[in-house]
Amino acid sequence: MIETFITSFKLQNTYRTNSIIYSLKQLPLIKRILPNSLYKNKGLKIFAGIISILWEIINIFIGKVIYVATMIFMALSWYKTNQADTFIHLFVFLTLAGGILNTYMLNPTKDKYYAIILMNINAREYGLSNYYYQLIKLVVGFLPFTILFGMIAGVPLWIQISIPFFVLAIKLIVMNYMIYKFKNTNKATSENLPTKIVWSFVGVCLLLTYVLPFLGITINSTIFLCVLITAVILGMYSLIKIHHFKEYRKMYKQILTESNVYMQEKASGTQAIKDNSLKQIELDTKYTSNKTGFAYFHDLFVKRHRKILTEAVKKQSVVILVIIIAMIIGISVNDTFKSKTNEILLVYLPYFVFIMYLINRSSSVTQAMFMNCDHSMLTYRIYRTPKVILGIFKERLKTLITINLLPAFLIGGGLALLLYLSGGTDNPINYAILFVSIIAMSIFFSVHYLVMYYLLQPYNISTEMKSSTYKGVQGLTYIVSWYMIQIKMPIFGFGIATIVFCIAYSLISLFLAYKYAPKTFKLRI
Amino acid sequence: MKLVVKNLKKNFEKKEVLKDINFKFEKGKIYGLLGRNGAGKTTFFNCLNEDIEIDAGEFFIEDNGKQRKMESEDIGYVLSTPNVPEFLTAREFLKFFIDINKKRIKNEKTIDEYFDFMKIEKEDRDKLLKDYSHGMKNKMQMLVNIIANPNVLLLDEPLTSFDVVVAEEMKQMLREIKKDHIIIFSTHIMELALDLCDEIVILNKGILEEIDKNNLNNEQFKNKIIEALKEE
Repeated sequence: MIETFITSFKLQNTYRTNSIIYSLKQLPLIKRILPNSLYKNKGLKIFAGIISILWEIINIFIGKVIYVATMIFMALSWYKTNQADTFIHLFVFLTLAGGILNTYMLNPTKDKYYAIILMNINAREYGLSNYYYQLIKLVVGFLPFTILFGMIAGVPLWIQISIPFFVLAIKLIVMNYMIYKFKNTNKATSENLPTKIVWSFVGVCLLLTYVLPFLGITINSTIFLCVLITAVILGMYSLIKIHHFKEYRKMYKQILTESNVYMQEKASGTQAIKDNSLKQIELDTKYTSNKTGFAYFHDLFVKRHRKILTEAVKKQSVVILVIIIAMIIGISVNDTFKSKTNEILLVYLPYFVFIMYLINRSSSVTQAMFMNCDHSMLTYRIYRTPKVILGIFKERLKTLITINLLPAFLIGGGLALLLYLSGGTDNPINYAILFVSIIAMSIFFSVHYLVMYYLLQPYNISTEMKSSTYKGVQGLTYIVSWYMIQIKMPIFGFGIATIVFCIAYSLISLFLAYKYAPKTFKLRI
Repeated sequence: MKLVVKNLKKNFEKKEVLKDINFKFEKGKIYGLLGRNGAGKTTFFNCLNEDIEIDAGEFFIEDNGKQRKMESEDIGYVLSTPNVPEFLTAREFLKFFIDINKKRIKNEKTIDEYFDFMKIEKEDRDKLLKDYSHGMKNKMQMLVNIIANPNVLLLDEPLTSFDVVVAEEMKQMLREIKKDHIIIFSTHIMELALDLCDEIVILNKGILEEIDKNNLNNEQFKNKIIEALKEE
């Protein structure tokens, strides 16, 4: 078993090293200098290998410290109950929730997929040795922080030390239960697809974790001791059962399916996104169109993707409407709320850049456009003629702007109305600027995503995202929008600047799209 | 009409995949493009289809002695893995294709006539393409490429996903349309190449060369091709 573990560890290290080199090769400019032979460069391999091992070590501790610090230690300040008891209380109940959500063994990772499915490594030896390794990492990772934060909270030393072993025991018990269930039903499910029962259990655990201390109820050291002894006895029993279980291969065959494994890498596209996009097509063929040419083609795309286009926007609009109505009620019944709202509205327009960024559907819509439409159509040369590309571009632009406008109208109109009801403004032109700048932001994001998609078309024929420039632009869009949160500026100045910027940006980018898209809009090879 | 390729080169980093391609493909013929795995057949097609930039050389259409650039409308490329827009029904897909190619289509037929021509059953015509089988998608891909009526048709292993009956029908169809097109057909199946193609061209070591049949019988011709492919 140790041999299998060493092999799997080396294997993991190799592709982690290769991924590091691969990411280096994705960077703009640098990728032109780096040759493919880089993968066999020894020095670089060693360097990437060291980074990979360092990462493994950091990984042992980093998640644990964040977990203990934020989920438990920081929460202590909310309660008036005994700090040490509350610390134990939070830890015990969170462990129950975490135990069922993350077993390690049933997590369909790529490592397991490569080793067990593709390379046919003995599933029991692989599964068990890696499982034990994870459990050791768990105890080692937790120990320093349960001692550190436990000490500050005044938890007795024996509890500080025994908490990680309690977590370990819970993990073993849950895993043994999963194996027991598999033996009886012959069905194993990926832990990344929790059932409603699991979610309800986790919900109840979370309620017990954070609500009970508010009511003054926590467990204490004596109760913990009883729970610990029970858990350790059951844990040891479970360990024996887990160790002697034979049918890991059969179990992993069910868990390590391609869609389970690749569901993990949401960012990079691949099959899971493709599958997911296909699900968005509405089977109903009753939606037809009377148009012709590009308009016909695009019209059918919109009608068959109502779920992610019009319906999503309608849902958004309802939420916005409810918030506005709640605000209006708030303003009319509470004077402090009224004056505060007025104050905020007058200087917080930049904040809405981020909100408009969040609600704009264009990023996911362009993704669906690629997965369900352009991915196949771009293989037809006729689809890449300037006339067709620009014809469809125009239709898409119209649609994206229109569907995003509905929530923008509500927000813009709502803000102007709220400003009026909350006491108004000295300068009546502010109402118009508020409204128009929100509309301008909405149009800006629609144009921005579509033009970037046409100019940088980031996917290849296997639906993988291949352009680091595109990812960079996406990241930058997020950072700039997020940065706006920090800015407080009067409506007039910021609003005018936004409107001018959005108009100029849209005009320039549309000009670029018309000029260059016929050349840039193709599949990456 | 001819498709002329002159001194075409394509490297991937240091690897010279296409070294120096010189060839004239003529209208009215089906060319069988043979090559070993990794010889660069798909790269050659991708170059002609302008999916990737070429490193040197040129290719163009020669029509009545006049040279002109090969435009998007001139070329149809049928990939081995069929790609069709899955949110449309077969009928809608055809309608769209006919709409955007209106000017180029000679003797336009009704959509159902096209389906009949491709032998696509009545009950399948209004199904979403998402629910089509691999072979059926391939038929659709072939059909729209034929409707678009491009001068040059590149076919990358197109018959492998068809059952024997459909493969026979497709071969027959290609023979029918070849008089108006330059058809280049890449395949690994020697029998198919010998049966269907008028000329055999092999891509080996980055060079494209025609293998003359002369007076050889099929068996001798086959051996000659294999020898040529084996050459180091």
